[in-house]
Order: sequence, then structure tokens, then C-alpha cells
Amino acid sequence: MNLLMSRDDLIHWLELLMRERILLAPTRVQGLLLFQPVSKVEDIAFDFDNTTLPPKGWFLPPTETLFSVRRGDGHTELVPATVEREAVIFGVRPCDAKGIALMDNPFLEEPGDTVYGERRARTALIGLSCRQAMPECFCTSMGSAPDDPSHVDILLTEVEDGYIVRAVTEKGKALLPQGLAEGEAVLPAPPKPQAVPAEGMVSAMRDLFSEPYWELLADRCLHCNVCAYVCPTCYCFDMRDYPDKGNIERVRSWESCQSPGFTRLAGGYNPRATKGARLRQRFYHKLLYFPEQFQDIACVGCGRCVKACPVNIDIREVISDLQQLGAKSGS
Amino acid sequence: MGLENPFVPYLATLKSAVELTPDVKLLSVELTDPAIQAGFDYKPGQFAFLSAFGEGEAPFGIVSLPQRKDGLEFAVRLIGTVTRALHELEPGDTLGVRGPFGNHFPLDDYKGKDMVIIGGGIGMAPLRPVINTILDHRNDYGKLLIINGARTPQDLVFAPEFKTWMEAPRTKLELTVDRGDERWSGRVALVPDVVREVSPSPDNAIAITCGPPIMIRFTLTVLRELGFKDPQIVTTLEAKMKCGMGKCARCNVGEKYVCRDGPVFTMEQISQFLEQP
Repeated sequence: MNLLMSRDDLIHWLELLMRERILLAPTRVQGLLLFQPVSKVEDIAFDFDNTTLPPKGWFLPPTETLFSVRRGDGHTELVPATVEREAVIFGVRPCDAKGIALMDNPFLEEPGDTVYGERRARTALIGLSCRQAMPECFCTSMGSAPDDPSHVDILLTEVEDGYIVRAVTEKGKALLPQGLAEGEAVLPAPPKPQAVPAEGMVSAMRDLFSEPYWELLADRCLHCNVCAYVCPTCYCFDMRDYPDKGNIERVRSWESCQSPGFTRLAGGYNPRATKGARLRQRFYHKLLYFPEQFQDIACVGCGRCVKACPVNIDIREVISDLQQLGAKSGS
Repeated sequence: MGLENPFVPYLATLKSAVELTPDVKLLSVELTDPAIQAGFDYKPGQFAFLSAFGEGEAPFGIVSLPQRKDGLEFAVRLIGTVTRALHELEPGDTLGVRGPFGNHFPLDDYKGKDMVIIGGGIGMAPLRPVINTILDHRNDYGKLLIINGARTPQDLVFAPEFKTWMEAPRTKLELTVDRGDERWSGRVALVPDVVREVSPSPDNAIAITCGPPIMIRFTLTVLRELGFKDPQIVTTLEAKMKCGMGKCARCNVGEKYVCRDGPVFTMEQISQFLEQP
């Protein structure tokens, strides 16, 4: 027996949630599908493969003020940003939820990023199992699955008459409406995304750092940074001061290792001066350094970078190339 | 507010700004909160971010020593927008301090050893607290050889301290410049060539070097020629960094973060990095 929620129940519940707290949900914006705060259910997209951008930006916004500098009468005060009220994100795909869990590693380890931590603590994730896999999807090869409940608070799986509800965490349980009925509906078989086996890749990468492969691959890279922009696990950031009308704010914003200025020092020296070295950094951070540091590959197989890259640099091909190169150099 | 936000710096006041060279100022700062100032402990090799509010913040090695109670000092070379704003500050002005961050030179482990300190230009900044620690505990260490190079005589950052260094027991100071001037009667040579000429013995010795990447590269070659093994050669790396806590991933070099795993590394460690800094 499974806990069930009808489509009407879901709509009533979402309406309740958006009255009590911020509700973010997939919405259609000029041809894109983005997580945005919603105030009416009609704005929510229920029928979608995946959103254009992951919900990462709620926790690590594209730009955010870390603190403001207030000055007056020869006195300076630093005012830290305050965290929004409680929020719920509806419609998170399991791969993107895993992306958030991966980001927790650097941001919550000591000394913890308190702003990120408070947003995490005050936000619940309502996941939505995938009904179909897109051609670019390869989550099952990256330790997730279309119906993976591991990193959400509640997982909804669509069935004929509504949704099967799994309350995964205490936070999720507390959020669910009272009186949900159990029913006969059974969980449907999850769709099967493409397999991109990654066995042996992490260990092979230690020997492949100096391969000419990286310069060749990067030859067509435009360093447009879209791969980092759409990635649910890219978390590199920049911090700058923005003075505006006498008020100064220290702003954190997304940054990408594909930018030539990413590692350039004041004075001009750049230890990672070539495109090949920069593109290699992207894959080494995700596929080797992050796993060595946090015991998990920093890719969730959402396929967004595959879809977005204007020159078809495809992480699935890179993974398979690395395995072949590794087999060659290991033999 | 709950836990302290690690991105918010401590407020501080600039106590004094002394021109060390035409483009390097020694900034002495005092944290506004006396309790935080009293508890601000750090070790040679550690760094902190200085904020010039409105321009941003940048990391600098701390050049003072807490036990000397001279205050918190930074040698800031004018090289970009943040350092320009820091140079423009006047005593009494407010700035921000975030830190201390990073590991440190394990000077306790070097007790009983001969010390070879090789610095070029502003690379002397992180070496100054090393030299001064050795001088403050002179009997704990063997011979001290300091080789300090700069572009011109005017660019020798810690010139006012040379007399003290030279007069310390069992201590030798070798100065060199790339270009002399009419008053300069010392060496005109590159740092690695001076290292070869002075030829310090690697026996029971530690060499610490910091300076421009090209100087470090050729100095390394010479030290290895002289018989120094990689675990005996120590340096402190410079990298673009924003957070200082291993989060922003800007200073990622191979599998290491310069801000958290460094900035102090032995050559043995560096030669094992996948990516060379």
C-alpha cells in the first residue's frame, strides 16, 4: 500500500504552502523553465522533463549580497544579509536534489557558510520522479536515479490518479497534509536513462593529466561558461564590492573555471593560462578532485551541459574517452 | 544572528602606513574590537584578507609576529585595484580583516637545523616573520643565511631591518639587485646565481624560498644542484583566492587548495600535485 495524493489534493496543498511560506516551482518564462517563487498554482508547470536551470540558485544565488557597509559620522558598520523566510521548492528532479547534496559538502564543512546553511535548513525539497528520460540524461551512471528519494524531503511519483507520496525526512513529514489515504497504486517502473559507465575513470585520471587530449578537446571551446551556468554541481564563486550611491555591498556571484581571469593574479601572472588547462580543470575538479575530497563524483548526469554547449563538448564522451585512454596507458 | 558569517570581516583601524619601497607599504592595523584583537593569534606563513571597502578584498601574508606585540602588519605592494585602495588609506581609516587562514611554516620542526631563507621582491613578506622567529629564538636554530634580491636597491622591502639581521649571531645576509644605482656597492646578480655562489650546505638544513615564479623555478634548480632534497625545500604559493576557506575553488591547484592546504608546501608535496602551480 502506498500513500496517495490526488491532483486536486496536490493543488490545495500547494496553495496552502504558498500562503505559509515561499513556494518555488517550475514556471515558464520566455521559453525557459525556471524555478521561481509562485503566488498562484496556474503559474506552475507540472508537465516537464527538467527545468532549464537547476534549483541551485536558491541556495547559491547567481549574485547575492553577503553584507552591506554602512557609513556615517566616521563610523562603519557591516550588516550581514538576512536569510529569507521558510521556503519549499516543488518539482525538484532527483538528479538536481543530488546536486544540492553535493554542494553541501564544500559549503557546510567547517567553517560553514552560514548563509547557505540557513537557506538549506529553512528550505524543504519536494521531489518529482521523472516519468521519462531525456536523450541527454545519464543519472543512473552518476549514482542517482529517476526515482531516487535520497536527497529530497518528500518524493512524489506520478501515477494514473495522482501521486504516490513518499515522506523521506522528518522535515517532509511535517509538511504533508493530514489525512492522506493509502491506496493500491503501485510505483511505476522508472525510465531507463542512457548508461555512461564510469568505472575505473577516477583512478585512470591520475595518469591522463598531461595527455594532449585536453588541448585538442578545448580547441573548439569558446569559454562561454554556459556549462558552469547550467550545472547543478558547479559552485565556484567570485566576491566583489559594488559601491552604489554611497552604499557599498560585498557581492558574491557565480564564476566559472573556464573564464581566463579565473586564476589570473593581480599583476598578470596566470598559472592556468591555456584553454586546454582550463577545460581540463573543469573535468578534473568534477571527476577527480571532488571525488577525492568528498567521495562522490561532482556530476549528477542531468545532461544540461551536453544540451547547452554550443560546440558539443559532451561530458559523456569525455568520460568514455578517459576510460579508453586509461585502458591504453594502463596496458 | 546565529552563527558568525565567515564572509564578514572584522573591522579594523589603520594605525600607520610606512613606505618601505616606492610601491610597498607596511600597513599596521588594529582590530576595532579589543577582545577580538587580543584573541587574534597567528603563525608565520598564515595570511589574512584585507578589505578596502568599495574596492574589495585581497589576501596578504601577515608579516608581524603576535609575540612581538607590534600589532598586525602587512607589506602591501601596489599591483591592482584593491592594493591601490589600501595604499590610499590614511592612519585612522577603517578597513576590514578576515583571517587568519592557511597553514604555517612548521618552525618548531626546524629547530636545530641550519636555515637558508631566499626571498625575491615582495616575496620577502612571508619570510620576515620566519626570520624574526629564528632571531627571537636564536639558540634553537643553527646557522641562518638570508639571501634577499630585488629589482633595484630601492625595492629591498625590509631594508630598515637589515642591520638587526646582519648583527644577529651566526647570521649572514646576502643582498643582490637586478640593477644597481650610484650608491649601490653590493651585488648585481640574479638570486639563483647568488645561491650558487654562496653555496649553502644541505646538511641538516632547510631552505625556504619565496618570490616571483621564475625566481623560484631557477632557485629550485640550484638548490637541487647543491644537494638539497625536495623535503628540505619549502615555499609558499600565491594563488587567486576569494574565500580563504576552500569553498570558492579559485586557488584549486591539482587536488589541493592553496588557501587551506597551503600556502606553505614542501617541494616534495608540490612535485606530487597533478597540476603544477
